[in-house]
Amino acid sequence: MGSRIRRETLVKWAPLLVLIVLCAFFAAMEPRFLSTRNFARILIAASPALMVAIGVTFVIIMGSIDLSMEGTVSVCAVAFAFCFLWLGGTLASWAWLALPVAMLVGAALGFINGLVHVKLRIPSFMASLAMGFVGTGLAMVMTGGDRIRIEDELFRSLLTERFLGFPLMVYVAGLFLLVAWFIQTRTTLGRNFYAVGGGEDLAIASGLNVNRVRVLGFTLAGVFFSVGALLAVGRIGIAETATGNNFMFLSITAVVVGGTALWGGLGGVWNTLVGVLIVFVIGNGMVVIGLPGYVQDGVLGILVILAVILSTDRKSISFVK
Amino acid sequence: MSTFIKDFIEKEKINRRNFLFASAYGLGGVAAMGALGPGMARAALTDPTIAWSYRNRTNPYWNEIVSGGEAFVQSLGMSKDALTHLINEGSSEKSLADVKAILAKTGGNLALAIDTNDAPNARPVVEAVAEAGAYVSTLWNKTDDLHPWDFGDNYVSHMSWSDEGPAEQTARILLDAMGGKGGVVHLGGIASNNPAIERLNGLKNALKDYPDVELLAAEPADWDTQKANQVMSAFLTRYGDEITGVHCANDTIAYGVLEALRAEGIEDMPIVSYDGNPQAVQLVSERKILATVFTNPHWGGGITAALAYHAAIGTFKPSEEPNAHREFYGPTIMVQPDDALEFKANYLDSVPTYDWTDFWGPSNGPIVYK
Repeated sequence: MGSRIRRETLVKWAPLLVLIVLCAFFAAMEPRFLSTRNFARILIAASPALMVAIGVTFVIIMGSIDLSMEGTVSVCAVAFAFCFLWLGGTLASWAWLALPVAMLVGAALGFINGLVHVKLRIPSFMASLAMGFVGTGLAMVMTGGDRIRIEDELFRSLLTERFLGFPLMVYVAGLFLLVAWFIQTRTTLGRNFYAVGGGEDLAIASGLNVNRVRVLGFTLAGVFFSVGALLAVGRIGIAETATGNNFMFLSITAVVVGGTALWGGLGGVWNTLVGVLIVFVIGNGMVVIGLPGYVQDGVLGILVILAVILSTDRKSISFVK
Repeated sequence: MSTFIKDFIEKEKINRRNFLFASAYGLGGVAAMGALGPGMARAALTDPTIAWSYRNRTNPYWNEIVSGGEAFVQSLGMSKDALTHLINEGSSEKSLADVKAILAKTGGNLALAIDTNDAPNARPVVEAVAEAGAYVSTLWNKTDDLHPWDFGDNYVSHMSWSDEGPAEQTARILLDAMGGKGGVVHLGGIASNNPAIERLNGLKNALKDYPDVELLAAEPADWDTQKANQVMSAFLTRYGDEITGVHCANDTIAYGVLEALRAEGIEDMPIVSYDGNPQAVQLVSERKILATVFTNPHWGGGITAALAYHAAIGTFKPSEEPNAHREFYGPTIMVQPDDALEFKANYLDSVPTYDWTDFWGPSNGPIVYK
């Protein structure tokens, strides 16, 4: 009994341990890694990806998967940029409305994604992947392949204004992390995600409208993708079709490394935070200690496998698919 | 104003004049041939289908290439839909299959411009075209042992770009701006891409003349703005104030670098890039970037189609041209702060009307094999 508790405790805290060990390792190799300025750099890079990863966390807790993030992020970024420039091009005018508009676009895309999955009975993997392609294509059509620059100093203060050494976008990401945590633990919807992911048959037998929960889950994911898009535009000052690039790999890796199980019912937003930090600490740390680029990808792959081994109790699952 | 652009425009004028003389002479030639009877007009095709085979149009670079092809077709008095698009979506197999299909459909009455997607695919494509009696000009990809002059007239020409020289020039501009001392970092393209390798080599060549500048690091940023942003941030942690200049493999990388620096409040770092995208040219005019290199894909796409077409209808006979007119480098134009606005007005805000029979004027010398 005693060893079982230890194993569970270890599994629960393994991602955090991995993160701490990684930080200690990089700090030992290069003391400058531990500076506040470097942590600010890591958090700037991680903030958009954290939002996207939180979105997909809810879907993964339900036992589904959402691969539409690259397309959704691109469409939201481009829609925001067009709307923002059309309404005046500065946050001090009505252009601030572009922020909620972008989130509505994200919600709408997620909603359609959920409907395609539930009503047409297409596996979420395929439905969301296809929706992602639709999104990328849509962003391409909207921009014609051009980049749209967002120069507004007020909006760009997300990156340029600092409080206690960290730019505002880091605090915005932190705020949405708390919102996600609230949804996960304090709302019926949040607990229903776990019910669906932990045992769908049981959830249906208890009278839960599983389809409704699923559609809402995808919609919520879409909203978080759009927040990720806004932060990505805030970070680079450019909205384009390529804004969504790489988010699929980053966010899915981060969720899994953080210890949220791909078969659903386990994990949560704090796991995702730790997972995102692991991925970005590795990315930053390897450049900081001077590892060549081709080694970095390999090391990241190995660390993903290691993290999954450490953070999930393989004996407790009956099959792997 | 830079003498570079002045020279370039001057060169174009002279070439145009030469062409007028040449075409007058050519018309005389045609008349003479007519006098000798129809038996002489053997190789030339009449009204061949003009086709461009390329990856896809969603990529801005290829979009520019194909817009040049369309401009050429329009210059012949046809609608731009007269250009047949063969889209290979990055598949060499599809590229070859498309070519064989259109050869069969047109019975060899074809003028083809093509990037064969990868170098080994160029040979089967060229062989298929030559066998059908059609005409082909290639862009970018071919193996070093494949030459137009080995195929008589049917393999008209090959154009490519060498980025090493121009990248070395931008590097020199950067190193001079750094005062010939300090530390430089390079953010590259996808490590295995040829342009990425050539652009880094350009920097390394220039560095030989600047012993007091240290190449602190060279990391791939995969032609990606966000990746470049992260790599530059990490460089700032590792090297901090040691970095006094940044050499970027292309414009999209430079955008990410600029934003990483802006996040740290660094506004005056010397940066150079490559490709001459409109946004980068704007940044050059604001002196945020010190230099970028424009390769004029619009002209490249148009002239490749024009070469195949004019060889096909017999305007010139490829086998009578020197080798330098059959394998040559495409144009490169250095854009620097003093001439950026003028360049933008001449090349980007309005696309210049090119003389599509000035085949070699803006080109950049014969291809040299290492």
